[in-house]
Amino acid sequence: MVIKWFIQHQIKQSMRASIWQKTLVINIILGLVLLLMLAYLLFLGIFIDVILNEMFPDNDPIILFNSMLLYYFGLEFFIRFFMQSLPTLNLETYLHVPIKRSSIVHFVASKSIVVIGNYLSWLILIPFAVKVIVPNYSVGVALIWLLGIILLIFTNNFLATYVKRHLVGNPAIVGVFGMTSIVLVFLEQFNILSASQLSANFFGHLLEDPIFLLIPCLALLGSYSLNYFYIKSRLYPEEITHKKTQKVDRLANVRYFSRLGMTGQLLSLEMRLLWRHKRTRSMLVLAPLFWGYGLVFYPDAVEGFSLSVIMIFVGIFMTGGMMISYLSYCFSYDSNFFDVILTKYSDIRQYIRAKYILALTVSTISFLVTIPYVFISTQILFINSMIFLYNIGLLSFVLLYVSTYSRKKMDLSKGSAFNYQGFGASHWLTGLPAFFLPIVTFLPFRWAGQPETGIIVIGCLGLIGLLFHKLLLGVVIRQFKKSQYAMAEGFRQSE
Amino acid sequence: MIQANNITKVYHSETVLDIPEITIRQNESFGLVGNNGAGKTTFFRLILDLIRANSGNITSKSIDVRSTNDWKNYTGSYLDQNFLIDFLSPEEYFEFLAEVHGLSKGDLAEFYAEYDEFFAGEILEKNKYIRDLSNGNKQKVGIASALMFKPDLVILDEPFNGLDPSTQIRLIKILNKLKTEDGVTLLVSSHDLSHVTEVCDRIVILEKGKVVTDLATNENTLKELESYFA
Repeated sequence: MVIKWFIQHQIKQSMRASIWQKTLVINIILGLVLLLMLAYLLFLGIFIDVILNEMFPDNDPIILFNSMLLYYFGLEFFIRFFMQSLPTLNLETYLHVPIKRSSIVHFVASKSIVVIGNYLSWLILIPFAVKVIVPNYSVGVALIWLLGIILLIFTNNFLATYVKRHLVGNPAIVGVFGMTSIVLVFLEQFNILSASQLSANFFGHLLEDPIFLLIPCLALLGSYSLNYFYIKSRLYPEEITHKKTQKVDRLANVRYFSRLGMTGQLLSLEMRLLWRHKRTRSMLVLAPLFWGYGLVFYPDAVEGFSLSVIMIFVGIFMTGGMMISYLSYCFSYDSNFFDVILTKYSDIRQYIRAKYILALTVSTISFLVTIPYVFISTQILFINSMIFLYNIGLLSFVLLYVSTYSRKKMDLSKGSAFNYQGFGASHWLTGLPAFFLPIVTFLPFRWAGQPETGIIVIGCLGLIGLLFHKLLLGVVIRQFKKSQYAMAEGFRQSE
Repeated sequence: MIQANNITKVYHSETVLDIPEITIRQNESFGLVGNNGAGKTTFFRLILDLIRANSGNITSKSIDVRSTNDWKNYTGSYLDQNFLIDFLSPEEYFEFLAEVHGLSKGDLAEFYAEYDEFFAGEILEKNKYIRDLSNGNKQKVGIASALMFKPDLVILDEPFNGLDPSTQIRLIKILNKLKTEDGVTLLVSSHDLSHVTEVCDRIVILEKGKVVTDLATNENTLKELESYFA
């Protein structure tokens, strides 16, 4: 069987992927987080009838649960669309060997079955079926109900991958799906078509008559075929990979930088690096979200805004979030051409200074953008300006220092969501003091009833850092020179 | 020009390079040949201070390469694609290096004119990023970037790899001209024995990190090399 080999290769590929070669600590932490999530879901599943009873004591929990299912599928569809990566197989390695094309296509089409998202909801569904449906109906009915829902989960999976496949070649299809969902929301809003009613009806029928199981079966078959025929018609690698050669953008022609000499060149290089790679670009596009933190945290604090630890954290992330996400990887970004830096730049100070200047620029922009929060409270501006000083005067140097511990090559052409590449435990362990220093500074003053003084002291720490920035930069440079060989060696290793 | 003393490099308790002494004189063209894993690239990386030797030191113009950055001002090098900034277009990359090496706009234009034949219309004004070029064209960009600022010392690791026949011949011409007219010191490694004998007047064979043969090139060299590797 060919499929056996495919599966074997895929398992080997994922076992040998660089994602597992992280330090043990990170793997353990990620594993614990995963376990915790699973435990929460199971807990929710076991007590969902109790919860539903508490919240809606007048409704039948089964009808209620059934009516929510369609919403759940809608939500799941969107989560899948954004999070789930497209299942691919390196076709070129298989197309030239004598394997039937249809088995290759079946394998690629069905590969998304193993995605963990397909199974998470079982943790809620199965306890609900056992605890609520079995006593009310029978084991057989519960099984049919469960089967129907699970088939629809996989239908959803195939539908989402199908739409996502079109994202590369034919964005219009994605638009159609988007419009359809907006229309559905409207219909629901104006009570023309109620998704909850529809959902309750359908799954209600499923409980009464197993013949309705046909619908999920057909839906699954249909959505799978969509994928199958889509891939089959595009089996030639050049048609499926869509490797576009990009045209050169005009970023290099920004005149301003050329006036700054070598530093300008380095800055311009850095901007082009950030803009021309998928990972850094999505980081740039998403960064303004940091500025919105205040909208979440401040409104609650309008009445009696207090100088609290939370507000300091909010301040660090709002005025420094962009800087932090840039600086903590700033040397790994260059992992692809690190040898250029080591053999051609005769002045490493300039190179590191350019990074610092860029960090300074983004945090200044962040600070300026968050000034309007002053209309909520003048205290906010006070905290944020002190933290801004701390960010640019101290935190930035700490982050530069810490990022000399990067040892992993980073492939910037991959997306950034859930991409832990280049992420090391040392980043966090050494970075943490920088985040807690302001808190540790602040707390004694607060206990002494002098929170304002505490905030001012944080700002002063930053000012001192700024005054001695030459010295701090020197420390970073010395550290860089010490670890440049280890960095270069790590960066040279491919995946 | 280059002097290595008691160099050893050990990876995972395996000695990959062990050179008690080697001297490369000014204006010498030095060819390094050897099978995979012989330590050619390791030797070049040591000269470029990209890795640290376990013992010994390397001096360039009598100064330890690890003590200063001065050698960067007169050393042009291209070892592999890590030496390219691949998200730039070739022009952007050359402009950047021109700034690094302090070349003027005129110098750059002169460089483009001089390497016009070598680029064969495949590199400039193509409106492509380096990452989208073919491997051969990337190699051309890399080699040209090593030579563009008229360095005194040129280090190329397997420069003929991936180049089409015309470009290989042009490269031989360019390297010979650098040697005879500009007095450049040349360090080249290659798997191609005939190319390396055409370019270099001294050839060193490395085997498992050790220098096994060190000979001056003459009309019999190619035969000798071929019989050694056969």
